[in-house]
Amino acid sequence: MNGGALPAIAFREVTRTFDGRAVLNNLSFEVAPGEAFCLLGRSGMGKSVTLKLAIGLIQPDAGAIYVENDNIVGMDEDGLSKVRSRVGFLFQSAALFDSFTLHDNLAVPLKRLRKKTPDEEIETIIQKNLDDVGLGKDGHKMPSELSGGMRKRAGLARALMLGPSILLVDEPVSGLDRVTASEIDDLLLRVRKRDNTAMVIVTHDTREARRVGDRVGILNNGSLIAMGRMDELEQNQNALVRALVSEAQ
Amino acid sequence: MRRYLDFIGNIGLFAVHAMRRALVPPLEFQMILQQIELAGWKSLPLVLSSGFALGLVLALHTRTTLVQFGAQSEMPAVQSLAFFNEIGPLLAGLLMAGRVGAGIGAELANMRATEQIDAIEVLSIDSFKLLVIPRIIACSIALPILTVFMDVMGLAGGYLVERATTDLSLQLYLSRAFHDVSWAAFIPPTLKTAVFGAVIGLISSYLGYTTDEGAEGVGRAATNSVVISSLAIILIDVVLVKAIFFLFPETAI
Repeated sequence: MNGGALPAIAFREVTRTFDGRAVLNNLSFEVAPGEAFCLLGRSGMGKSVTLKLAIGLIQPDAGAIYVENDNIVGMDEDGLSKVRSRVGFLFQSAALFDSFTLHDNLAVPLKRLRKKTPDEEIETIIQKNLDDVGLGKDGHKMPSELSGGMRKRAGLARALMLGPSILLVDEPVSGLDRVTASEIDDLLLRVRKRDNTAMVIVTHDTREARRVGDRVGILNNGSLIAMGRMDELEQNQNALVRALVSEAQ
Repeated sequence: MRRYLDFIGNIGLFAVHAMRRALVPPLEFQMILQQIELAGWKSLPLVLSSGFALGLVLALHTRTTLVQFGAQSEMPAVQSLAFFNEIGPLLAGLLMAGRVGAGIGAELANMRATEQIDAIEVLSIDSFKLLVIPRIIACSIALPILTVFMDVMGLAGGYLVERATTDLSLQLYLSRAFHDVSWAAFIPPTLKTAVFGAVIGLISSYLGYTTDEGAEGVGRAATNSVVISSLAIILIDVVLVKAIFFLFPETAI
């Protein structure tokens, strides 16, 4: 954590309802530059919604969301585009484009947003990112030919194509076996160490939160009921918090 | 009832949004070409075979009736007018609604369900301009071209029947087929299919792009795309035929 620096992401009393049900209720938290913040909670508690709010895919009913210095609530598409170019997003399903090869999936961000980048340089960046996630020889493959773990790694490689200062990660290890999950966690740790990328990682895997997160927030019924380091949360008075964080000990 | 009105209203808003976005450069030309290939080129075998088969069937039916009135020499003209005015445009439209409409609905719904559309937005790319506008434009360009092929194959089917029964020469068949056909009887009905194409692209894209039902929504979007697009082009056809008769009175037989 870089104490005193402008937060990479800040939620200020954010509320969001769907069909009259409050999914997030006055949610507030900050993530410092270079910090890995894990949002831990049971399914359906608003974790993924929080990530989509953080990148402007959905708008809150109330509150403010700051990405570095920009409040993205009510921001127009041009403004959001600029903010999004600084943020990477790894989707739960990886969300690779079905009709493109892995190589072309990675080429999209650069060819679309860095149009002046020479083709040779694009190829170099793609190959480097594929190598970094251990898929250096799989660029020609279609997403349907990749296993779950490979898809997640490919999604991560695409999310890192523009060198984001913030990475939002949605359930990176869900549906993966323990060994593959551990490889994904290693990748996230390596990216953070190498690029000092701030991360918000949504997970229901306590083991992952313990391993990757500097701080962990426990989300329950749309509110953060506890936040802090894992060892602090283990001493929390709330039984649900203790039950969640002690799960993987 | 309110649900249907909501749907029509939402489609209208979607259409207005599409028109406004289509006017903002740049257009996704590469995507438009790719979609023209998918909607047009890959539909060609279906259109050619259907047009030829229907040309055969129509000729077999009408010939029997025309012979009863001693008007069998009018068979090529009946064939050409039937295909140019209505059968070609409408059948090509319905075939496209079935093949392409279902494809668009399912593809976009699948992209929505698997978060690919969100991924496009996250990459600062306007997903509406990338996915919806090219499909609408491609359908409205491809369908008139497919209609011409449908018309040609319908005439070819008719000629095969004539050739088999009367040994009519191709030159005479074509001469009779085009004798009573003015440009006004060919161009407006063919161009009206650009509207059919736009409607198919619009409805299918709307149903796929806006679905929020996950995997279940993929099948629903595909089915509804076919059903609603088919119904819409038949209803719009009524209006367009009336409009063509009003603008080109000589085409009203």
